[in-house]
Amino acid sequence: MLEKKVISKLRKILGQKAVLTAKEDLNAYSYDGTTTWVHMPDVVVLPTTAEQVSQVLKLANDNKVPVTPRGAGTNVSGGSIPIKGGIVLCTTRMNKILDINKTNLTATVEPGVVLQDFNIALAKQGLFYPPDPQSFLGCTIGGTIAENAGGPYCVKYGVTKQYVLGLETVLANGYIMQLGGVTVKNRTGYELMMLFTGSEGTLGVITRITLRLMPLPPANKTMMVIFDDMAVGGQAVSSIMASGVVPAKIEFVDNFVIRRIEEMTPMGLPVEAKALLLIQADGSPAAVEAEAKQIVDILKKSGAKEIKVAKDANEAAKYWKMRSAGFAAVFSAAHTVLAEDVAVPRDKLAEFIRKLEDISKKSGFFISYLGHAGDGNLHPAIFTDIRNKKEFDKAQKTMGEIFEAALALGGVLSGEHGIGLEKQRFLKRAMDPVALNLMIKIKGILDPNHILNPGKIWEEAKV
Amino acid sequence: MAKTRQDRYEQIKRFEDDLSQCMKCGFCTFWCPVYQEERIEPSVARGKNMMIRGLLAGELDYTKEYAERLNDCTLCMACTVNCPAKANIPNVIVAARADAVKARGLKFPYSVVYRWLLPRRNLFGWVVRFASWFQGIFLPRTEGTIRHLSMFLSALGKGRNIPQIAPRFLRQMVPVVNKPPSGVKTRMRVGYFSGCMTDFVLPDLGKHIIDFLNRNGVEVVLPKEQGCCGAPVFLGAGDFETGRKMADANVKAFEALDYVISDCATCTSALKDYAKFLADTPQRKEAYQKFADKVKDISEFLVDVLKLPSSAYEPSAKVKGKKVTWHDPCHLSRHLGITAQPRQIIKSIPGVEYVEMPDADRCCGMAGTFSVYYYDLSKQIADKKVASIKSTGADIVVSGCPGCEIQLIDGVLRNKLPVKVMHIMELLK
Repeated sequence: MLEKKVISKLRKILGQKAVLTAKEDLNAYSYDGTTTWVHMPDVVVLPTTAEQVSQVLKLANDNKVPVTPRGAGTNVSGGSIPIKGGIVLCTTRMNKILDINKTNLTATVEPGVVLQDFNIALAKQGLFYPPDPQSFLGCTIGGTIAENAGGPYCVKYGVTKQYVLGLETVLANGYIMQLGGVTVKNRTGYELMMLFTGSEGTLGVITRITLRLMPLPPANKTMMVIFDDMAVGGQAVSSIMASGVVPAKIEFVDNFVIRRIEEMTPMGLPVEAKALLLIQADGSPAAVEAEAKQIVDILKKSGAKEIKVAKDANEAAKYWKMRSAGFAAVFSAAHTVLAEDVAVPRDKLAEFIRKLEDISKKSGFFISYLGHAGDGNLHPAIFTDIRNKKEFDKAQKTMGEIFEAALALGGVLSGEHGIGLEKQRFLKRAMDPVALNLMIKIKGILDPNHILNPGKIWEEAKV
Repeated sequence: MAKTRQDRYEQIKRFEDDLSQCMKCGFCTFWCPVYQEERIEPSVARGKNMMIRGLLAGELDYTKEYAERLNDCTLCMACTVNCPAKANIPNVIVAARADAVKARGLKFPYSVVYRWLLPRRNLFGWVVRFASWFQGIFLPRTEGTIRHLSMFLSALGKGRNIPQIAPRFLRQMVPVVNKPPSGVKTRMRVGYFSGCMTDFVLPDLGKHIIDFLNRNGVEVVLPKEQGCCGAPVFLGAGDFETGRKMADANVKAFEALDYVISDCATCTSALKDYAKFLADTPQRKEAYQKFADKVKDISEFLVDVLKLPSSAYEPSAKVKGKKVTWHDPCHLSRHLGITAQPRQIIKSIPGVEYVEMPDADRCCGMAGTFSVYYYDLSKQIADKKVASIKSTGADIVVSGCPGCEIQLIDGVLRNKLPVKVMHIMELLK
């Protein structure tokens, strides 16, 4: 339990209304988007300035109180769970868009700006920020930086880290540090910004972000492609990527997800399809036409059963809405859902899908998956019940086998969700031990008292 | 023990599917008008649902804070219609309010009122009035019908810009049976649920609606036995027991009529909600469902039942040549799915220019008693609506809910916007 004097000092720094201590309120900061992790903080603070963040961290550092920074808590790694109690530092009230510069193609924002609000503001000026985690309606930009998030658009446009130009970060000792700037090129020393991008809140609290922008593509075309065999669908993705066309998005949805979505929100989906690919080409109208034609030709040769090209924006929007309901479709399917985030090299996608089918057969667990096929990034899900220990243990073991299969193909543990709590028991197998040790040492330099999001990413040595 | 728990959370258990459907994606944060202002997790559907799960798990209890978090929801349903899993958290919230009232008695929600009201300068003076208001709800007079809104409004009137209580109520102005004038053939006979607002504050609107219907061949019956719809009592405060008395009275009052017309979106929705929330016996379930099927919003009735030709929609003198925009009441749009009918009516009126406002279906922040508990928050939500109205350049903002109208009048006056607020029926001659 936190000492009363720390709480009263927090109230002095932030004001009464920005410090939550009621049990009912703490309960609301005890979970994230996962089904397995829950822990209550002792207090929640809602700063509005970097100066306040700095004072909170100084106080926490002096008193060695854990601080778990978070945005909207839409993450699915356990990363924002205050697993050691202490302070939850929530940035949702730091939500001002400070600048949109159409000439420099940059924007500067506070960390609590919601991604969708940002993109609405950009679209008014014909601009576009591509990284699009499917939690865009809730997630904050600060959170997407801390998790180095990705989404469907990343096939063509890359992930969050490719857009970060400048960061203001408050260090564990309260120092407000400036990194980078507003230029696209910047070769000044080590790329320290990348240390904080994807740091999962363990190295500092991001309080201001400068991002690179793109002009909004004037045209796009969406295709929904049906396959009888999931691996054939996977092979088709590799063929597209090898053909010289890079679509904006290539998404993969399996039969289970199609059925679940149709059940929740009937929209006339082909429920008999074994697998669906959703593909979008974007760019100038002429380029989109040409690319779409090329993609359709490849798909026909790759064994697609049916190709539906969306006639208009409404039909396209329907398909993409279906994709964004995928998370709900999976996570509402059972009491406990283990949904992972592995990524394999794009030319290994079909092979990986075959492996998943084998694992499913051997373990007896049904494995559903959807994901960003164009990135080789899939979210295999196992449905279980944490209350049934024997079954849950077996499910976790099966998930371990999925990781091993991905790693054996040259893949990684997490494509876009981060390690958090959910995947830390596999980290040792997925990283060079020297690199892992270096990471822990860096943490020690920046946060010697281990106050920032403690207990995350790597497993702590058992005392 | 298990049985006790079952009884204790009797209403919540009825909506267990909604409770368990939420998989915590947090998409509701984008749509929730309360979260958009407060930006804290306990404000939004996901947080409230997890709080109720915590109560059921025995981790949380009936506390002041619990009550507060249960109450600061407008039940606008924006979370539900945008939820990928279609979890209806407002159902769970209403049920949780009811279980809390049952477990803790009536003191529970009102202790919150006092806690919120007393420390607030501009609200402080109302407390005495409120005391009489509570009495109006919870110690209903045994003779006659249960009425409370007049007290509520006189309290509100001290701090807000709202219409005064009318010198003569609608029920004093018109007879029970209102027949079409001679020369007009009677096509249909309907009951008119006038609602507290129309009855006590806007009786001229009620009179106008009766005249309009009469001129279009509809005989209008205004049963004297009708009372308050009960929305603030069973939806707002969770007092299902009193709600049932009100429901039974209204069902009985309109028993002999095939249609029940209402000009208030909240009333319409509440009347239809009897079956969902208040039916505790098979008899009530049947009676409430039958009643719900008869209830029609006025715009829905004109367009879908009466099927009036567009020539029937002539402009009243004060709206000719004006620019008009429509605000979707939550209770019409998301609760009942009525969005096309009012727009069709407005667009049919010659000499009136219709302009759609951005986010027309976003909650105005009134939500009945919500706006009393959380007046500051309610004003912040209203200010977003006022900005939407302003962006259209409309002369008149029209709605189909006197509750929204109070809020919009307060909003435009506070923001010094030269816009008139009207009920859709006031546009018509």
